[in-house]
Amino acid sequence: MKAISNNGKQGKIGILKSINKYKVQIFCVLPAILIITIFKYYPFVTSVYQSFFNWNGANVKIFEGLGNYKDLLKDKMFHDAIFNILKVCVATILINLTFPFIAAELVSNIKNQKIQKFFKLGFIIPMVVPFMVVILLWKWILAGDYGIFNMLLQGIGLGGFTKPWLGTESTSLGAIIFINFPWIAGLPFLLYLAGRQNISEALYEAASLEGAGTFQKIIHIDIPLLSSHRKLVITYMLIQAFQMFDQPSVLTGGGPGTATLTPALYIYQRAFNYNQFGYSSSIGVALFILVMVITFLNQRIMKESDVMD
Amino acid sequence: MKKSKLNLAAGVSIILLFVITFYPFFLLIFGSLKNKMQLVNNPWFLTFPLHFENYSIAFGQIVRPIFNSFVVTFIGIGITLVASALAAFVIAQLELPGKKIVYYYIISLLMVPGFVILIPQFLVVRDMHLYDTYLGQVFPPAANNIAMGVLLMTTFFKGLSKSIMESAKVEGCSNMQMFARIVLPLSKPIIATVSITTGLNFWNNYMWPLIITTSKNVSPVIVAVTRLKANIKLGEGPLFAAYVIASIPILLLFAVASEQFVEGITAGAVKG
Repeated sequence: MKAISNNGKQGKIGILKSINKYKVQIFCVLPAILIITIFKYYPFVTSVYQSFFNWNGANVKIFEGLGNYKDLLKDKMFHDAIFNILKVCVATILINLTFPFIAAELVSNIKNQKIQKFFKLGFIIPMVVPFMVVILLWKWILAGDYGIFNMLLQGIGLGGFTKPWLGTESTSLGAIIFINFPWIAGLPFLLYLAGRQNISEALYEAASLEGAGTFQKIIHIDIPLLSSHRKLVITYMLIQAFQMFDQPSVLTGGGPGTATLTPALYIYQRAFNYNQFGYSSSIGVALFILVMVITFLNQRIMKESDVMD
Repeated sequence: MKKSKLNLAAGVSIILLFVITFYPFFLLIFGSLKNKMQLVNNPWFLTFPLHFENYSIAFGQIVRPIFNSFVVTFIGIGITLVASALAAFVIAQLELPGKKIVYYYIISLLMVPGFVILIPQFLVVRDMHLYDTYLGQVFPPAANNIAMGVLLMTTFFKGLSKSIMESAKVEGCSNMQMFARIVLPLSKPIIATVSITTGLNFWNNYMWPLIITTSKNVSPVIVAVTRLKANIKLGEGPLFAAYVIASIPILLLFAVASEQFVEGITAGAVKG
Protein backbone atom coordinates (compact mmCIF):
# COMPACT_ATOMS: atom_id res chain seq x y z
CA MET A 1 0.00 0.00 0.00
CA LYS A 2 2.70 2.40 1.10
CA ALA A 3 4.80 1.67 -1.95
CA ILE A 4 1.90 2.39 -4.27
CA SER A 5 1.08 5.73 -2.67
CA ASN A 6 4.77 6.62 -2.82
CA ASN A 7 4.78 5.77 -6.48
CA GLY A 8 1.72 7.89 -7.00
CA LYS A 9 3.39 10.78 -5.25
CA GLN A 10 6.50 10.44 -7.34
CA GLY A 11 4.36 10.22 -10.48
CA LYS A 12 2.63 13.44 -9.55
CA ILE A 13 5.89 15.19 -8.84
CA GLY A 14 7.24 13.82 -12.11
CA ILE A 15 4.29 15.31 -14.01
CA LEU A 16 4.68 18.65 -12.24
CA LYS A 17 8.41 18.60 -13.01
CA SER A 18 7.82 17.94 -16.68
CA ILE A 19 5.10 20.60 -16.82
CA ASN A 20 7.63 23.01 -15.39
CA LYS A 21 10.28 21.86 -17.81
CA TYR A 22 8.01 22.26 -20.81
CA LYS A 23 5.99 25.23 -19.58
CA VAL A 24 6.88 27.44 -22.54
CA GLN A 25 5.91 24.73 -25.01
CA ILE A 26 2.63 23.99 -23.24
CA PHE A 27 1.81 27.67 -23.04
CA CYS A 28 2.39 27.97 -26.79
CA VAL A 29 0.20 25.08 -27.92
CA LEU A 30 -2.53 25.84 -25.41
CA PRO A 31 -4.43 28.58 -27.33
CA ALA A 32 -4.78 26.42 -30.45
CA ILE A 33 -5.79 23.36 -28.45
CA LEU A 34 -8.31 25.26 -26.33
CA ILE A 35 -10.04 26.97 -29.27
CA ILE A 36 -10.22 23.77 -31.26
CA THR A 37 -11.45 21.73 -28.31
CA ILE A 38 -14.15 24.19 -27.27
CA PHE A 39 -15.42 25.08 -30.74
CA LYS A 40 -14.89 21.84 -32.62
CA TYR A 41 -14.41 18.67 -30.57
CA TYR A 42 -16.85 19.55 -27.82
CA PRO A 43 -19.65 20.49 -30.28
CA PHE A 44 -18.90 17.35 -32.25
CA VAL A 45 -19.37 15.14 -29.19
CA THR A 46 -22.47 16.97 -27.99
CA SER A 47 -24.07 16.76 -31.43
CA VAL A 48 -23.95 12.97 -31.18
CA TYR A 49 -25.47 13.17 -27.68
CA GLN A 50 -28.19 15.63 -28.72
CA SER A 51 -29.18 13.52 -31.69
CA PHE A 52 -30.82 11.05 -29.29
CA PHE A 53 -33.23 13.66 -27.93
CA ASN A 54 -36.41 15.36 -29.00
CA TRP A 55 -35.20 18.84 -28.15
CA ASN A 56 -36.39 22.34 -29.06
CA GLY A 57 -33.17 24.03 -27.99
CA ALA A 58 -34.72 25.34 -24.76
CA ASN A 59 -37.15 23.74 -22.30
CA VAL A 60 -38.36 20.52 -23.95
CA LYS A 61 -35.79 17.71 -23.93
CA ILE A 62 -37.07 14.11 -24.13
CA PHE A 63 -34.83 11.10 -24.66
CA GLU A 64 -35.83 9.35 -27.87
CA GLY A 65 -33.07 6.81 -28.38
CA LEU A 66 -32.74 6.14 -32.07
CA GLY A 67 -36.12 7.78 -32.74
CA ASN A 68 -34.64 10.67 -34.71
CA TYR A 69 -32.66 8.31 -36.90
CA LYS A 70 -35.76 6.21 -37.59
CA ASP A 71 -37.62 9.37 -38.61
CA LEU A 72 -34.69 10.34 -40.80
CA LEU A 73 -34.99 7.11 -42.78
CA LYS A 74 -38.60 8.00 -43.58
CA ASP A 75 -38.05 11.74 -44.08
CA LYS A 76 -38.76 12.53 -47.73
CA MET A 77 -37.26 16.03 -47.49
CA PHE A 78 -33.99 14.57 -46.20
CA HIS A 79 -33.91 12.09 -49.07
CA ASP A 80 -34.58 14.87 -51.57
CA ALA A 81 -31.75 16.93 -50.07
CA ILE A 82 -29.32 14.01 -50.39
CA PHE A 83 -30.47 13.32 -53.94
CA ASN A 84 -30.06 17.00 -54.87
CA ILE A 85 -26.58 17.24 -53.44
CA LEU A 86 -25.48 14.09 -55.25
CA LYS A 87 -26.65 15.67 -58.50
CA VAL A 88 -24.74 18.85 -57.62
CA CYS A 89 -21.61 16.83 -56.81
CA VAL A 90 -21.68 14.94 -60.11
CA ALA A 91 -22.30 18.13 -62.09
CA THR A 92 -19.54 19.98 -60.22
CA ILE A 93 -17.01 17.26 -60.92
CA LEU A 94 -17.90 17.02 -64.62
CA ILE A 95 -17.73 20.80 -64.97
CA ASN A 96 -14.38 21.09 -63.22
CA LEU A 97 -12.79 18.29 -65.20
CA THR A 98 -13.60 20.01 -68.48
CA PHE A 99 -14.05 23.79 -68.61
CA PRO A 100 -11.12 24.95 -66.44
CA PHE A 101 -8.90 22.31 -68.03
CA ILE A 102 -9.72 23.50 -71.54
CA ALA A 103 -9.12 27.11 -70.49
CA ALA A 104 -5.80 26.21 -68.86
CA GLU A 105 -4.71 24.42 -72.04
CA LEU A 106 -5.73 27.37 -74.18
CA VAL A 107 -3.89 29.82 -71.94
CA SER A 108 -0.70 27.76 -71.71
CA ASN A 109 -0.61 27.30 -75.48
CA ILE A 110 -0.44 31.06 -76.02
CA LYS A 111 3.06 31.79 -77.28
CA ASN A 112 3.24 35.50 -76.49
CA GLN A 113 4.27 35.81 -72.82
CA LYS A 114 2.52 39.13 -72.27
CA ILE A 115 -0.81 37.96 -73.68
CA GLN A 116 -0.52 34.75 -71.70
CA LYS A 117 0.03 36.69 -68.48
CA PHE A 118 -2.93 38.91 -69.26
CA PHE A 119 -5.30 35.93 -69.56
CA LYS A 120 -3.85 34.21 -66.51
CA LEU A 121 -4.35 37.24 -64.31
CA GLY A 122 -7.69 37.96 -65.97
CA PHE A 123 -9.16 34.62 -65.03
CA ILE A 124 -7.93 35.01 -61.45
CA ILE A 125 -9.62 38.36 -60.79
CA PRO A 126 -13.22 37.03 -60.69
CA MET A 127 -12.07 34.57 -57.99
CA VAL A 128 -11.40 37.54 -55.79
CA VAL A 129 -14.96 38.88 -55.94
CA PRO A 130 -16.86 37.66 -52.85
CA PHE A 131 -18.88 34.61 -53.79
CA MET A 132 -22.01 36.16 -52.31
CA VAL A 133 -21.75 39.06 -54.75
CA VAL A 134 -21.49 36.58 -57.61
CA ILE A 135 -24.58 34.77 -56.34
CA LEU A 136 -26.59 38.00 -56.05
CA LEU A 137 -25.43 39.10 -59.49
CA TRP A 138 -26.66 35.85 -60.98
CA LYS A 139 -29.92 36.18 -59.10
CA TRP A 140 -30.54 39.23 -61.26
CA ILE A 141 -29.30 37.52 -64.43
CA LEU A 142 -31.60 34.53 -63.93
CA ALA A 143 -34.61 36.46 -62.63
CA GLY A 144 -38.09 36.05 -64.12
CA ASP A 145 -39.07 39.49 -65.39
CA TYR A 146 -36.27 41.86 -66.39
CA GLY A 147 -33.83 38.98 -65.96
CA ILE A 148 -30.87 39.52 -68.26
CA PHE A 149 -30.84 35.91 -69.39
CA ASN A 150 -34.49 36.03 -70.43
CA MET A 151 -33.90 39.33 -72.24
CA LEU A 152 -31.03 37.68 -74.08
CA LEU A 153 -33.26 34.79 -75.12
CA GLN A 154 -35.90 37.22 -76.39
CA GLY A 155 -33.24 39.18 -78.24
CA ILE A 156 -32.08 36.13 -80.20
CA GLY A 157 -35.62 35.00 -80.99
CA LEU A 158 -35.98 32.32 -78.33
CA GLY A 159 -38.59 34.27 -76.38
CA GLY A 160 -40.71 31.13 -76.01
CA PHE A 161 -38.17 29.62 -73.64
CA THR A 162 -38.15 32.42 -71.10
CA LYS A 163 -39.09 31.48 -67.55
CA PRO A 164 -38.18 32.34 -63.97
CA TRP A 165 -35.24 29.94 -63.98
CA LEU A 166 -34.76 29.87 -60.23
CA GLY A 167 -38.47 29.73 -59.47
CA THR A 168 -39.37 26.82 -61.73
CA GLU A 169 -39.15 23.40 -60.13
CA SER A 170 -37.63 21.65 -63.13
CA THR A 171 -34.92 24.26 -63.76
CA SER A 172 -34.04 25.69 -60.35
CA LEU A 173 -31.27 23.23 -59.42
CA GLY A 174 -29.81 23.48 -62.91
CA ALA A 175 -29.93 27.27 -62.67
CA ILE A 176 -27.99 27.19 -59.39
CA ILE A 177 -25.35 24.96 -60.95
CA PHE A 178 -25.26 27.28 -63.96
CA ILE A 179 -24.13 30.19 -61.78
CA ASN A 180 -20.64 31.37 -62.70
CA PHE A 181 -20.81 29.95 -66.22
CA PRO A 182 -18.33 29.20 -67.89
CA TRP A 183 -16.93 28.15 -64.49
CA ILE A 184 -13.31 28.96 -65.28
CA ALA A 185 -12.34 31.47 -62.63
CA GLY A 186 -11.61 29.11 -59.78
CA LEU A 187 -9.07 26.98 -58.02
CA PRO A 188 -9.14 24.12 -60.61
CA PHE A 189 -7.96 26.51 -63.33
CA LEU A 190 -5.02 27.58 -61.17
CA LEU A 191 -4.10 23.99 -60.36
CA TYR A 192 -4.25 22.82 -63.96
CA LEU A 193 -2.24 25.81 -65.06
CA ALA A 194 0.43 25.20 -62.40
CA GLY A 195 0.58 21.52 -63.34
CA ARG A 196 0.80 22.27 -67.03
CA GLN A 197 3.71 24.64 -66.46
CA ASN A 198 5.63 22.04 -64.47
CA ILE A 199 5.73 19.68 -67.42
CA SER A 200 9.16 19.76 -69.00
CA GLU A 201 9.47 21.50 -72.40
CA ALA A 202 11.70 18.65 -73.55
CA LEU A 203 8.72 16.30 -73.60
CA TYR A 204 6.83 18.53 -76.03
CA GLU A 205 9.89 18.97 -78.21
CA ALA A 206 10.37 15.22 -78.39
CA ALA A 207 6.70 14.80 -79.27
CA SER A 208 7.00 17.43 -82.00
CA LEU A 209 9.96 15.58 -83.49
CA GLU A 210 7.83 12.46 -83.63
CA GLY A 211 5.25 14.48 -85.52
CA ALA A 212 2.63 14.91 -82.77
CA GLY A 213 0.12 17.75 -83.13
CA THR A 214 -1.30 19.91 -80.35
CA PHE A 215 -4.22 17.57 -79.66
CA GLN A 216 -1.99 14.52 -79.53
CA LYS A 217 0.30 16.30 -77.09
CA ILE A 218 -2.64 17.14 -74.86
CA ILE A 219 -3.98 13.58 -74.96
CA HIS A 220 -0.67 11.76 -74.56
CA ILE A 221 1.30 14.16 -72.36
CA ASP A 222 -0.93 16.56 -70.44
CA ILE A 223 -3.88 14.36 -69.54
CA PRO A 224 -1.78 11.51 -68.10
CA LEU A 225 0.72 13.82 -66.38
CA LEU A 226 -1.97 15.97 -64.75
CA SER A 227 -3.68 13.02 -63.07
CA SER A 228 -2.58 14.07 -59.59
CA HIS A 229 -3.96 17.57 -60.20
CA ARG A 230 -7.23 16.10 -61.41
CA LYS A 231 -7.51 14.02 -58.24
CA LEU A 232 -6.89 17.09 -56.13
CA VAL A 233 -9.57 18.99 -58.05
CA ILE A 234 -12.08 16.17 -57.64
CA THR A 235 -11.44 15.79 -53.91
CA TYR A 236 -11.52 19.50 -53.21
CA MET A 237 -14.57 20.28 -55.33
CA LEU A 238 -16.44 17.30 -53.89
CA ILE A 239 -15.96 18.64 -50.37
CA GLN A 240 -17.02 22.12 -51.49
CA ALA A 241 -20.08 20.93 -53.40
CA PHE A 242 -21.29 18.72 -50.59
CA GLN A 243 -21.47 21.69 -48.25
CA MET A 244 -23.53 23.90 -50.60
CA PHE A 245 -25.53 26.35 -48.53
CA ASP A 246 -25.17 29.95 -49.71
CA GLN A 247 -26.80 29.62 -53.13
CA PRO A 248 -30.07 27.90 -52.14
CA SER A 249 -30.26 29.89 -48.93
CA VAL A 250 -30.17 33.24 -50.73
CA LEU A 251 -31.77 32.39 -54.07
CA THR A 252 -34.52 29.85 -53.49
CA GLY A 253 -34.76 28.95 -49.79
CA GLY A 254 -34.52 25.32 -50.96
CA GLY A 255 -37.61 25.60 -53.14
CA PRO A 256 -39.73 25.41 -55.16
CA GLY A 257 -40.85 22.46 -53.05
CA THR A 258 -37.61 20.67 -52.29
CA ALA A 259 -36.07 21.20 -55.73
CA THR A 260 -32.96 22.98 -54.40
CA LEU A 261 -32.88 21.78 -50.80
CA THR A 262 -29.36 20.78 -49.72
CA PRO A 263 -28.32 18.94 -46.53
CA ALA A 264 -26.66 22.01 -45.03
CA LEU A 265 -29.73 24.14 -45.66
CA TYR A 266 -32.00 21.43 -44.28
CA ILE A 267 -30.04 21.28 -41.02
CA TYR A 268 -30.32 25.04 -40.74
CA GLN A 269 -34.07 25.11 -41.46
CA ARG A 270 -34.92 22.29 -39.05
CA ALA A 271 -33.04 23.99 -36.24
CA PHE A 272 -33.80 27.64 -36.75
CA ASN A 273 -37.18 27.65 -38.48
CA TYR A 274 -38.75 24.69 -36.65
CA ASN A 275 -36.71 24.61 -33.42
CA GLN A 276 -36.01 20.91 -33.87
CA PHE A 277 -32.47 20.95 -32.48
CA GLY A 278 -32.31 17.25 -31.62
CA TYR A 279 -33.55 16.17 -35.03
CA SER A 280 -31.26 18.64 -36.71
CA SER A 281 -28.27 17.17 -34.81
CA SER A 282 -29.18 13.70 -36.00
CA ILE A 283 -29.11 14.96 -39.60
CA GLY A 284 -25.62 16.31 -38.94
CA VAL A 285 -24.39 13.02 -37.52
CA ALA A 286 -25.90 11.03 -40.38
CA LEU A 287 -24.27 13.35 -42.89
CA PHE A 288 -20.94 13.10 -41.14
CA ILE A 289 -21.06 9.33 -41.57
CA LEU A 290 -22.04 9.78 -45.20
CA VAL A 291 -19.16 12.21 -45.81
CA MET A 292 -16.72 9.77 -44.22
CA VAL A 293 -17.98 6.99 -46.49
CA ILE A 294 -17.71 9.20 -49.59
CA THR A 295 -14.21 10.36 -48.59
CA PHE A 296 -13.15 6.77 -48.01
CA LEU A 297 -14.59 5.60 -51.36
CA ASN A 298 -13.03 8.58 -53.12
CA GLN A 299 -9.63 7.73 -51.67
CA ARG A 300 -10.00 4.07 -52.61
CA ILE A 301 -10.91 4.96 -56.19
CA MET A 302 -7.98 7.39 -56.38
CA LYS A 303 -5.58 4.75 -55.05
CA GLU A 304 -6.78 2.16 -57.52
CA SER A 305 -6.41 4.55 -60.43
CA ASP A 306 -2.88 5.19 -59.16
CA VAL A 307 -2.14 1.50 -59.55
CA MET A 308 -3.64 1.56 -63.02
CA ASP A 309 -1.44 4.48 -64.02
CA MET B 1 -2.50 26.15 -93.12
CA LYS B 2 -4.09 23.63 -90.79
CA LYS B 3 -1.98 24.87 -87.91
CA SER B 4 -2.99 28.51 -88.38
CA LYS B 5 -6.67 27.51 -88.48
CA LEU B 6 -6.22 25.68 -85.20
CA ASN B 7 -4.50 28.68 -83.67
CA LEU B 8 -7.31 30.91 -84.83
CA ALA B 9 -9.91 28.59 -83.28
CA ALA B 10 -7.95 28.52 -80.01
CA GLY B 11 -7.64 32.28 -80.00
CA VAL B 12 -11.34 32.80 -80.64
CA SER B 13 -12.29 30.28 -77.93
CA ILE B 14 -10.14 31.84 -75.25
CA ILE B 15 -11.39 35.34 -76.05
CA LEU B 16 -14.98 34.11 -76.02
CA LEU B 17 -14.51 32.37 -72.66
CA PHE B 18 -12.88 35.48 -71.31
CA VAL B 19 -15.70 37.74 -72.46
CA ILE B 20 -18.41 35.43 -71.05
CA THR B 21 -16.53 35.26 -67.75
CA PHE B 22 -16.16 38.99 -67.41
CA TYR B 23 -19.30 40.38 -68.97
CA PRO B 24 -21.56 39.71 -65.94
CA PHE B 25 -19.18 41.75 -63.79
CA PHE B 26 -19.30 44.60 -66.27
CA LEU B 27 -23.09 44.38 -66.22
CA LEU B 28 -22.87 44.78 -62.45
CA ILE B 29 -20.68 47.86 -62.71
CA PHE B 30 -22.82 49.36 -65.49
CA GLY B 31 -25.97 48.63 -63.50
CA SER B 32 -24.55 50.27 -60.40
CA LEU B 33 -24.44 53.56 -62.32
CA LYS B 34 -27.99 53.46 -63.70
CA ASN B 35 -31.38 54.64 -62.57
CA LYS B 36 -34.45 52.46 -62.77
CA MET B 37 -35.45 53.31 -66.35
CA GLN B 38 -31.93 53.00 -67.74
CA LEU B 39 -31.62 49.56 -66.22
CA VAL B 40 -34.88 48.34 -67.75
CA ASN B 41 -34.32 49.92 -71.16
CA ASN B 42 -30.71 48.97 -71.70
CA PRO B 43 -28.91 46.79 -69.16
CA TRP B 44 -26.28 45.77 -71.72
CA PHE B 45 -24.04 48.80 -71.96
CA LEU B 46 -23.07 51.88 -70.04
CA THR B 47 -25.69 54.60 -70.58
CA PHE B 48 -25.54 58.27 -69.64
CA PRO B 49 -26.01 60.13 -67.40
CA LEU B 50 -24.03 58.11 -64.84
CA HIS B 51 -25.77 57.99 -61.49
CA PHE B 52 -22.93 58.14 -59.01
CA GLU B 53 -25.41 58.98 -56.27
CA ASN B 54 -26.23 55.25 -56.20
CA TYR B 55 -22.90 54.78 -54.48
CA SER B 56 -23.54 57.32 -51.78
CA ILE B 57 -26.98 55.80 -51.12
CA ALA B 58 -25.47 52.30 -50.97
CA PHE B 59 -22.59 53.40 -48.80
CA GLY B 60 -25.01 54.85 -46.26
CA GLN B 61 -26.78 51.50 -46.08
CA ILE B 62 -23.74 49.27 -45.63
CA VAL B 63 -21.12 51.44 -43.95
CA ARG B 64 -21.75 49.88 -40.54
CA PRO B 65 -21.73 46.27 -41.84
CA ILE B 66 -18.48 47.01 -43.70
CA PHE B 67 -16.96 48.28 -40.47
CA ASN B 68 -18.20 45.12 -38.73
CA SER B 69 -16.63 42.93 -41.43
CA PHE B 70 -13.30 44.70 -40.93
CA VAL B 71 -13.44 44.21 -37.16
CA VAL B 72 -14.32 40.52 -37.42
CA THR B 73 -11.75 39.89 -40.16
CA PHE B 74 -8.93 41.59 -38.26
CA ILE B 75 -9.68 39.87 -34.94
CA GLY B 76 -9.98 36.61 -36.84
CA ILE B 77 -6.63 37.01 -38.58
CA GLY B 78 -4.99 38.07 -35.28
CA ILE B 79 -6.23 35.11 -33.26
CA THR B 80 -5.48 32.68 -36.07
CA LEU B 81 -1.94 33.93 -36.60
CA VAL B 82 -0.98 33.99 -32.92
CA ALA B 83 -2.46 30.61 -32.05
CA SER B 84 -1.22 28.78 -35.12
CA ALA B 85 2.26 30.32 -35.26
CA LEU B 86 2.95 29.51 -31.59
CA ALA B 87 1.67 25.95 -31.89
CA ALA B 88 3.47 25.32 -35.17
CA PHE B 89 6.72 26.66 -33.68
CA VAL B 90 6.58 24.15 -30.83
CA ILE B 91 5.62 21.28 -33.11
CA ALA B 92 8.30 22.05 -35.69
CA GLN B 93 11.23 23.23 -33.58
CA LEU B 94 10.95 22.49 -29.87
CA GLU B 95 10.99 19.44 -27.68
CA LEU B 96 7.66 18.36 -26.21
CA PRO B 97 6.60 14.80 -25.41
CA GLY B 98 3.52 13.84 -27.40
CA LYS B 99 3.74 16.77 -29.80
CA LYS B 100 2.83 14.48 -32.71
CA ILE B 101 -0.45 13.76 -30.96
CA VAL B 102 -0.99 17.49 -30.48
CA TYR B 103 -0.37 18.03 -34.19
CA TYR B 104 -2.82 15.39 -35.33
CA TYR B 105 -5.37 16.48 -32.74
CA ILE B 106 -5.29 19.98 -34.27
CA ILE B 107 -5.32 19.13 -37.95
CA SER B 108 -7.63 16.13 -38.04
CA LEU B 109 -10.72 18.29 -37.54
CA LEU B 110 -10.17 19.60 -41.06
CA MET B 111 -11.94 16.39 -42.12
CA VAL B 112 -15.20 17.41 -40.46
CA PRO B 113 -17.41 19.46 -42.79
CA GLY B 114 -18.48 22.67 -41.05
CA PHE B 115 -22.24 22.32 -41.28
CA VAL B 116 -22.25 18.95 -39.54
CA ILE B 117 -21.63 20.54 -36.14
CA LEU B 118 -23.45 23.78 -36.86
CA ILE B 119 -26.16 23.36 -34.23
CA PRO B 120 -23.95 22.42 -31.25
CA GLN B 121 -21.50 25.16 -32.22
CA PHE B 122 -24.36 27.63 -32.14
CA LEU B 123 -25.37 26.37 -28.68
CA VAL B 124 -21.80 26.58 -27.32
CA VAL B 125 -21.41 30.15 -28.49
CA ARG B 126 -24.89 31.09 -27.22
CA ASP B 127 -24.16 29.58 -23.81
CA MET B 128 -20.93 31.59 -23.62
CA HIS B 129 -23.11 34.70 -24.07
CA LEU B 130 -21.41 35.46 -27.36
CA TYR B 131 -24.58 35.46 -29.45
CA ASP B 132 -24.78 38.57 -31.63
CA THR B 133 -21.24 39.74 -30.78
CA TYR B 134 -18.01 40.16 -32.74
CA LEU B 135 -16.23 37.41 -30.80
CA GLY B 136 -19.09 35.00 -31.42
CA GLN B 137 -18.52 35.44 -35.14
CA VAL B 138 -14.78 34.96 -34.76
CA PHE B 139 -14.26 31.80 -32.72
CA PRO B 140 -15.72 28.80 -34.54
CA PRO B 141 -14.35 29.88 -37.96
CA ALA B 142 -11.03 30.72 -36.25
CA ALA B 143 -10.80 27.09 -35.12
CA ASN B 144 -10.88 25.98 -38.77
CA ASN B 145 -8.37 28.57 -39.83
CA ILE B 146 -6.05 27.68 -36.94
CA ALA B 147 -6.07 24.05 -38.04
CA MET B 148 -5.14 25.07 -41.57
CA GLY B 149 -2.59 27.59 -40.25
CA VAL B 150 -0.87 24.99 -38.06
CA LEU B 151 -0.71 22.63 -41.02
CA LEU B 152 0.88 25.19 -43.34
CA MET B 153 3.17 26.81 -40.79
CA THR B 154 4.50 23.57 -39.33
CA THR B 155 5.62 22.50 -42.80
CA PHE B 156 7.26 25.86 -43.34
CA PHE B 157 8.97 26.07 -39.92
CA LYS B 158 10.38 22.57 -40.36
CA GLY B 159 12.06 23.78 -43.52
CA LEU B 160 13.94 26.56 -41.71
CA SER B 161 17.66 25.98 -41.34
CA LYS B 162 18.47 24.00 -38.21
CA SER B 163 21.98 25.43 -37.90
CA ILE B 164 20.70 28.97 -37.30
CA MET B 165 18.49 27.70 -34.47
CA GLU B 166 21.32 25.75 -32.92
CA SER B 167 23.80 28.58 -33.02
CA ALA B 168 21.14 30.84 -31.49
CA LYS B 169 20.73 28.33 -28.68
CA VAL B 170 24.48 28.21 -28.11
CA GLU B 171 24.47 31.99 -27.86
CA GLY B 172 21.98 31.62 -25.02
CA CYS B 173 18.83 32.62 -26.89
CA SER B 174 15.65 31.55 -25.09
CA ASN B 175 12.88 29.74 -26.94
CA MET B 176 10.67 32.79 -27.16
CA GLN B 177 13.55 35.00 -28.30
CA MET B 178 14.26 32.45 -31.00
CA PHE B 179 10.64 32.59 -32.08
CA ALA B 180 10.47 36.38 -32.15
CA ARG B 181 13.90 37.18 -33.57
CA ILE B 182 14.64 34.30 -35.90
CA VAL B 183 11.55 32.29 -36.84
CA LEU B 184 9.09 35.12 -37.42
CA PRO B 185 11.35 37.33 -39.57
CA LEU B 186 12.20 34.32 -41.76
CA SER B 187 8.54 33.35 -42.12
CA LYS B 188 7.04 36.40 -43.79
CA PRO B 189 5.85 34.50 -46.89
CA ILE B 190 3.89 31.90 -44.92
CA ILE B 191 2.51 34.54 -42.56
CA ALA B 192 1.26 36.47 -45.60
CA THR B 193 -0.29 33.34 -47.09
CA VAL B 194 -2.09 32.36 -43.89
CA SER B 195 -3.26 35.94 -43.29
CA ILE B 196 -4.72 36.25 -46.77
CA THR B 197 -6.49 32.88 -46.74
CA THR B 198 -7.84 33.54 -43.27
CA GLY B 199 -8.89 37.06 -44.19
CA LEU B 200 -10.72 35.82 -47.28
CA ASN B 201 -12.49 33.14 -45.24
CA PHE B 202 -13.66 35.65 -42.67
CA TRP B 203 -14.70 38.35 -45.12
CA ASN B 204 -16.65 35.93 -47.33
CA ASN B 205 -18.24 33.83 -44.61
CA TYR B 206 -22.02 33.81 -44.83
CA MET B 207 -23.48 30.82 -43.01
CA TRP B 208 -21.94 31.36 -39.59
CA PRO B 209 -22.69 35.10 -39.18
CA LEU B 210 -26.18 34.45 -40.55
CA ILE B 211 -26.76 32.10 -37.63
CA ILE B 212 -24.95 33.91 -34.87
CA THR B 213 -25.93 37.56 -35.47
CA THR B 214 -29.21 39.45 -35.70
CA SER B 215 -28.47 43.11 -35.14
CA LYS B 216 -27.08 45.56 -37.67
CA ASN B 217 -24.50 46.65 -35.10
CA VAL B 218 -22.42 43.50 -35.49
CA SER B 219 -23.51 41.61 -38.61
CA PRO B 220 -21.06 41.66 -41.53
CA VAL B 221 -21.44 43.10 -45.01
CA ILE B 222 -21.85 39.73 -46.75
CA VAL B 223 -24.99 39.10 -44.71
CA ALA B 224 -26.12 42.71 -45.06
CA VAL B 225 -26.05 42.73 -48.87
CA THR B 226 -28.37 39.73 -49.02
CA ARG B 227 -30.94 41.67 -47.00
CA LEU B 228 -30.94 44.81 -49.14
CA LYS B 229 -34.09 45.26 -51.22
CA ALA B 230 -34.45 47.14 -54.48
CA ASN B 231 -35.99 50.53 -53.89
CA ILE B 232 -39.28 51.00 -55.81
CA LYS B 233 -38.33 54.48 -56.94
CA LEU B 234 -34.60 54.04 -57.54
CA GLY B 235 -34.53 50.49 -58.86
CA GLU B 236 -31.61 48.14 -58.45
CA GLY B 237 -28.81 50.65 -59.06
CA PRO B 238 -27.99 51.29 -55.38
CA LEU B 239 -28.19 47.54 -54.75
CA PHE B 240 -25.54 46.90 -57.39
CA ALA B 241 -23.45 49.74 -56.02
CA ALA B 242 -23.56 48.03 -52.62
CA TYR B 243 -22.35 44.75 -54.18
CA VAL B 244 -19.45 46.59 -55.80
CA ILE B 245 -18.52 48.31 -52.53
CA ALA B 246 -18.60 44.96 -50.67
CA SER B 247 -16.07 43.57 -53.17
CA ILE B 248 -13.63 46.46 -53.10
CA PRO B 249 -11.60 45.62 -49.95
CA ILE B 250 -10.63 42.19 -51.26
CA LEU B 251 -9.95 43.48 -54.76
CA LEU B 252 -7.62 46.07 -53.20
CA LEU B 253 -5.87 43.37 -51.21
CA PHE B 254 -5.44 41.41 -54.43
CA ALA B 255 -4.01 44.44 -56.20
CA VAL B 256 -1.42 44.85 -53.43
CA ALA B 257 -0.44 41.20 -52.97
CA SER B 258 -1.52 39.19 -56.01
CA GLU B 259 1.31 36.67 -55.74
CA GLN B 260 0.66 35.75 -52.12
CA PHE B 261 -2.99 35.73 -53.00
CA VAL B 262 -2.67 33.00 -55.61
CA GLU B 263 -0.33 31.17 -53.25
CA GLY B 264 -2.96 31.46 -50.52
CA ILE B 265 -5.82 30.24 -52.69
CA THR B 266 -3.87 27.17 -53.81
CA ALA B 267 -1.97 26.35 -50.61
CA GLY B 268 -5.09 25.36 -48.69
CA ALA B 269 -6.21 22.91 -51.33
CA VAL B 270 -2.82 21.42 -52.02
CA LYS B 271 -1.80 20.92 -48.41
CA GLY B 272 -5.25 19.97 -47.19
